[in-house]
Amino acid sequence: MDNKLLEIENLKTYFFTDSGRVPAVNGVDLFIREGETLGIVGESGCGKSVTSLSVMRLLAHTPGRVVDGSIRFAGMDLLSLPESKMREIRGNEIAMIFQEPMTSLNPVYKIGDQIGEAVRLHLKYDKKKARERVIQMLKLVGIPRAEEIVDEYPHQLSGGMRQRIMIAMAMSCEPKLLIADEPTTALDVTIQAQILDLMRKLKEERGTAIMLITHDLGVVAEMCDRVVVMYAGKVVEEADVFDIFENPKHPYTQGLLHSIPKLRRKTERLQSIPGNVPTPGNMPSGCKFAPRCSHAMDVCREQEPDLLQIASGHRCRCFLYQNDLAKEA
Amino acid sequence: MAEQLIEAKNLKKYFPVNKGLFGRKKSYVRAVDGVSFSIFKGETLGLVGESGCGKSTTGRIIMRLLAPTEGEIRFNGKDISRLPDHQLRELRKELQMVFQDPYASLNPRMTVGEIIAEPLVVHRTATGKERDKRVQELLELVGLSSYHANRYAHEFSGGQRQRIGIARALALHPKLIVADEPVSALDVSIQSQVLNLMQDLQKELGLAYLFISHDLSVVEHISDRVGVMYLGRIVEIAEKDDLYDKPLHPYTQALLSAVPVADPRIRKERIILEGDIPSPSNPPQGCSFHPRCKSCMDICKTTVPELKESEPGHFTACHLYG
Repeated sequence: MDNKLLEIENLKTYFFTDSGRVPAVNGVDLFIREGETLGIVGESGCGKSVTSLSVMRLLAHTPGRVVDGSIRFAGMDLLSLPESKMREIRGNEIAMIFQEPMTSLNPVYKIGDQIGEAVRLHLKYDKKKARERVIQMLKLVGIPRAEEIVDEYPHQLSGGMRQRIMIAMAMSCEPKLLIADEPTTALDVTIQAQILDLMRKLKEERGTAIMLITHDLGVVAEMCDRVVVMYAGKVVEEADVFDIFENPKHPYTQGLLHSIPKLRRKTERLQSIPGNVPTPGNMPSGCKFAPRCSHAMDVCREQEPDLLQIASGHRCRCFLYQNDLAKEA
Repeated sequence: MAEQLIEAKNLKKYFPVNKGLFGRKKSYVRAVDGVSFSIFKGETLGLVGESGCGKSTTGRIIMRLLAPTEGEIRFNGKDISRLPDHQLRELRKELQMVFQDPYASLNPRMTVGEIIAEPLVVHRTATGKERDKRVQELLELVGLSSYHANRYAHEFSGGQRQRIGIARALALHPKLIVADEPVSALDVSIQSQVLNLMQDLQKELGLAYLFISHDLSVVEHISDRVGVMYLGRIVEIAEKDDLYDKPLHPYTQALLSAVPVADPRIRKERIILEGDIPSPSNPPQGCSFHPRCKSCMDICKTTVPELKESEPGHFTACHLYG
C-alpha cells in the first residue's frame, strides 16, 4: 500500500489580478497513496481549494495559473499533458465533487443525461447502456425510485439527494481518485452523516483514493487516514490522523484543535488563536503564522521554516522542532 | 430560580403560499407550529435544529420582526405579541439581534462609528460628545480599538465584523440578544474568539441570549438550556447536561449521534436517519417525525405528541414518554 497515486511537489498557483500577483498556493507538497483518504484542512483562503483545482487543471477560466511545481498522477505529469489528454483523465480517472450541489448540476438537463454524459464520453457506452449504468449508479448511492429520478431535473431533489447525484456522477467511471471539496458543508448534520457513510462505503468497496477538503475537524477524524494542514498557501503539518489529533506539533494545528468546542467535553472557555488569517496581498515575512503564534521566536519573523520530517510519516513546518534536529545532527 | 425574562406561549407562524389560478387557493407553510419556552434573566437558551425547522423564524418572532399568527410572547410579564409600532420601538431597546452574515448585516456606506451609533441616534438616547464616548466604549467592550470608528466595514475581517454587529446590538443596554447563527460564517479559529466574547459580555452585563444555531457542539458550549426543533415544533427542551447526556426524543438521539467527533479513536455507532425532512407546507399527520423514527408506534401516526415534562426540567414531545 505504498504506491503514490498522486504526488504534488512545490506547487505554486498564483492569481494575476489588477491589484497584483496573489500567491494562493505557494509551494505545496503532498501525496496520496492508492486507496487512501487524505484530508486537507485549513481555513478560508489557505489555498486548499485552489490546490484541488490545480490538480484538475480547472483554472483556465480564472486569472489563476500554475507557475511552478509538478503534479504527477499515476506516472503522468498532469501539468504538461495536452488538454485533450487531460479531458480523458478528468471525470474518468480523477473525479471531483463540490460543496454546492445545486450550482454544480445543470438545471436544464435531466439527471440521467448529466450522469450519462460522462459514461458515454469516457466508457463509450451507447445511449441505452449508459442509461442502465446511470440507474445502477443511482441505486448504488442510495437514491430511491432510481428509474424515475433518471428523468427528473435537479430542482426536484433535496440538497442531500443532489449531493448523492454528484457522487453518483463522480463515481460512474470508477475513478482512481475522488476529490471532494467540502462535500457536506452545505448539508444538515443528519444528511451529512448519510453522505459520509456513503463515501466510506464506496471507498471500501472500490478502493478509490479520496482527497477530502474540509474545514471540519470532526469530518476529518471520521473519514481520513492521513491529514495535511494548510495555512496561507503552504502545508504546515502532515501526519496520520491519530498523530494529528493526539500529537499535533505545529502551533497552528494545536490552536485549531483547541479552538473547537467538542461534544461532551465540558470546557469552560475555548482557547482561540489571536488575530486573523493574513490576506494573500499582505503576507508577513518569515513564517506566515508567526504574528499569531505564542511560541514565535526572532528567527520565525525573519526566515521561513521548511517542511521537515520530525518523525516517521510526520512532517512539520516550524522552527520549534528544527532546532532539535539541528542539535541531533 | 431566576426571574423569567421572556415567555413564549404556543407561538405559530404560518406563511401563506398562493396556489391555483390567480392565487386564489391558499395553502400555508407552517414555519413555526406551536412553540413554547421561556428565557430567564442572564441565561442562554440554545435553539438547535436543521434547516427549515423554524428556529430562525422563532427568533424573528421573539424580536417582533415578524408578527406571530397565533400565540403570545410575554416580556417582563407584559404581552408584546400585539404591540403597535410606536410601542415596539421602545421595546427594541431591550431586545436586540445579531445576525449570521457579518458581510450583509453592516451597511457598506457607513463608517463603523456611524453603524454603532445608529441605535443611539434612532432612539435619541445620546448626542454629541456623549454619543461619541459611548461608541468608543462599545468598541473597546467588544475588543476593537477606538480608532476603528472611522473605518468602513469592508476593511474588517469576518470576525471583526461580527464584533461590530455585537457592539451595535449592545448600544442600548438590551436585556436579551437574539443571536441567529452568529458564528456559522466564521472560520474555526475566529469562531472561538467570538464565542468567548459573547460569554464575557454575558457575565459582565447580565445579558440573556437566545442562541440559534445548527451546530450542536457550539450550542452545547454556550448554552444553559437547549431546545431542539423539528418541523416547526420543539421536540425536546432541557438543561444542557440533561439533554446531551440523556437525550430522550429519538430525533435528538439521531441528531447527536450524527455529529462527527474530532477524535479518530471514536468510531461511534451512528443512528442514520432515513430520508429527508418533510416539507413544512405538508407535514406528516400525527408526530411530524414519525416517518423517519425507528420507534414509531401506531399512535404516532395519528396524534401529535404534547411537550410534557418527562423528568424534572426535561420536556419531551414524544409518545414514548407519554
